[in-house]
Amino acid sequence: MRLIGLLAVALFALAPPQPGPLTVFAASDLAPAFKQIVPQFEAHTRTRVTLVLGSTGVLAQQIRNGAPADVFFAANDTFINDLAAESLTLGRATLYAQGRIAIVTLTSSTTRIDDLKGLADAQIRRIAIANPQHAPYGLAAKQALDNTGLWRTLEPKLVFGENVQQAVQFVRSGSAQAGIVARSVAGTSDLRWALVDAQLHAPLNQMAVVLARTRQAATALSFIEFVNGTHGRAVMRQFGFLLPGESH
Amino acid sequence: MLSVTVFRKFEDFTLDAAWTSDQPIVALVGPSGSGKTLTLQSIAGLITPDMGRVVAGGRVLFDSAGRKNLKPQERRIGYVFQGYALFPHMTVAKNIAYGVRDRDRSRIDRTTALIERLGLDGLRARYPAELSGGQQQRVALARALATDPDMLLLDEPLSALDAPLRRELAGELGKTLRDLGKIAILVTHDLIEAYRIADTVVLYEKGQTTDAVSKNDLLWNPSSERIARLIGARNVLRAPIAESSDDAIILDWRGGHLMAARSPSHQLHARVHDELAFFVRPEYVRLIRKNRPVTDGLRQTNLFSGEIVGERDEGTTWVLFFRLDRPGTPSQGTYDLEIEIPRLVYERLNISVDRHWEVSIHPGSIQVLPGH
Amino acid sequence: MDVFPVWLSLRVAALATLLTVVAGVPLAWLLARKHFPGRDLLSALLLIPLVLPPTVLGYYLLTLIGSRGTVGRFLARWDIELAFTWRAAVLAAAVGSFPLLIKTTQSGFEGIDRRLEQAAATLGHSEMSIFWTISLPLAWRAILAGTVLAFCRALGEFGITLMVAGNIPGLTQTLPLAIYDHVQANQLDQANMLSFVSIAIVLFLMVALGRIARLRF
Repeated sequence: MRLIGLLAVALFALAPPQPGPLTVFAASDLAPAFKQIVPQFEAHTRTRVTLVLGSTGVLAQQIRNGAPADVFFAANDTFINDLAAESLTLGRATLYAQGRIAIVTLTSSTTRIDDLKGLADAQIRRIAIANPQHAPYGLAAKQALDNTGLWRTLEPKLVFGENVQQAVQFVRSGSAQAGIVARSVAGTSDLRWALVDAQLHAPLNQMAVVLARTRQAATALSFIEFVNGTHGRAVMRQFGFLLPGESH
Repeated sequence: MLSVTVFRKFEDFTLDAAWTSDQPIVALVGPSGSGKTLTLQSIAGLITPDMGRVVAGGRVLFDSAGRKNLKPQERRIGYVFQGYALFPHMTVAKNIAYGVRDRDRSRIDRTTALIERLGLDGLRARYPAELSGGQQQRVALARALATDPDMLLLDEPLSALDAPLRRELAGELGKTLRDLGKIAILVTHDLIEAYRIADTVVLYEKGQTTDAVSKNDLLWNPSSERIARLIGARNVLRAPIAESSDDAIILDWRGGHLMAARSPSHQLHARVHDELAFFVRPEYVRLIRKNRPVTDGLRQTNLFSGEIVGERDEGTTWVLFFRLDRPGTPSQGTYDLEIEIPRLVYERLNISVDRHWEVSIHPGSIQVLPGH
Repeated sequence: MDVFPVWLSLRVAALATLLTVVAGVPLAWLLARKHFPGRDLLSALLLIPLVLPPTVLGYYLLTLIGSRGTVGRFLARWDIELAFTWRAAVLAAAVGSFPLLIKTTQSGFEGIDRRLEQAAATLGHSEMSIFWTISLPLAWRAILAGTVLAFCRALGEFGITLMVAGNIPGLTQTLPLAIYDHVQANQLDQANMLSFVSIAIVLFLMVALGRIARLRF
């Protein structure tokens, strides 16, 4: 009995290491890009950053219920607008990128898909996209399929991932033969990707905003500026994002 | 001394028991499912009756009218459960001492004395699973007695034991209970066992009870036809009264007369031509030896001749089914009387071959049953 | 490799199991022995964590303990933060494992011959005393099994934690969340490593408990 008590105290008393002072909530499609940008920012400003990735909708919901985020990088504007309407944001939202969706297949696969119509191929039994309900990239994929009249035929083949990262994981593991995901997560060597016409979906205006509950508004803002600055943009461009003020 | 009235409705059974006893040792007897255990549980406070009153030794344990309902912990009873309910994870010593809370020296001494007296001394450190049935029974008894309760309740204390052990322990249990001098209520389905252990008996049938009667009265002088049947009396018959006098009743039975001596304890308000119930114990129907003339006047009364139409070997005795040489339907279907004789007699009289006999019934052996 | 998730998960699972056992064992006894109005309803409610998808459950919990929730706001008055802290991870793990503990333990208590408890009552022991001296010792195997199940479930808790504590590295990222992160980022080596650690913990636990169980005969 006493042993258990001691263990309990031990586990309790030893505190976990302190988190970084700036908490950044970012949509999953930014994962590869931010994994490069964040260390750069940390080096530049000597502030620590905690990067929390997830599906935009879920992150927004958590923010709404008090999540300790300082700044929020969404994969579109609607979720941010909702938060703004609830007075949960500080200042105006900044457009930091425009997302593109791409069709991905494994490099090792024999089927080459260059456009959406190609997804109707019998070899493609399952197509992975992010959940349109709460992931903007999933919604964009749905819109593109709607606008090309392919939704009804392809819907039975669709598999939803929690977010774009999970969707791309389905393709990687071979459980889905193809996917429509964010261009930014499609750039790995094991994947082949083909851009989807941006006209086919509502623009993925990725907005970032500082959150009202932050205690480091200045640092938060500087992070947004960093992403939008020379260094940040260089990385973003690498991952196929369109940047504000720049054309295709 | 004891007054029990309990009423409770269950889904498919109603318990409606009421009896009193001024003798300390009471047996509740009846078939399984007749409400005996439920009564015991009500007395112990383990279940609560819808209505009723339980008074033991002058102490009110339960009274629905007065809103009194003592918890089992407060009733000061010792309960020996069917199957003994010994705590499997405790030794014999711990089991017995479980109810003894005080650091009271006298209690501990008394517990030790109890253990010795019941012959459990060498078994203190054993676990219930390691004990024989008889030993478990004694541990259960010791445990119930260790708290020095006002009253003991025992639910089929001998049923888990084999027949010879049962017979032996019945006597022992009876003696122990009498020596203790406490009120004890014992549940059993065996009337003979009840007879050996208790003073008074309450009969249970489908949730209902008869009042408590002394065991002798029950066995030898049942107060009604119903009770006679309940105690398993054989030859329970009915016949109209032909004549009635101060010391005898003559019944009109099977075309002849049957004379029954009047019982001083039972008042009979019956008139001629009223139908009466009576019974004759199979052991009291006498076979008349063929080679001996009947000179005894009394033997001449209630003389019938007939034939043995069936028989049953019961080991130490034989049961014969006797049909009278009279026209008409026999009283009990294919026969009129059941006769029980010792094996020796059966062989001596060569009954397996010789089937026609005369029988006589002493008037005192015909038990008349008053009322219902 | 970052060992924080391992260490956090052990702590969270241990605490969650402790809470579950302390709250669950008496409740299981009540459900097993007492008939009170609403008993069946309560029994059904306790099974909800097994029925609802974890993320949904997490969402409902979040609306309750988050900055807008009744409980959340109440605790905020005392400066206590629940959501998005390790405490929420403990809550998530406890909620997820509660039904497992309750049902196994309840079963254990129900399996005890009622007459034993009745005998104890006639011998003068209070209900509390009967619980400690009779019911608990006789049901210990079921309680142990339930505790083990609860711990394993707590260690592997994912969906509810994700919602209610968040996937915040260095703060609330438990072992399962970390593994998930690695898989998503295609870092399969790290994912495998952490998975191996999870399994090792459970194996160790099983062996240790096996020894204890055998010791008590």
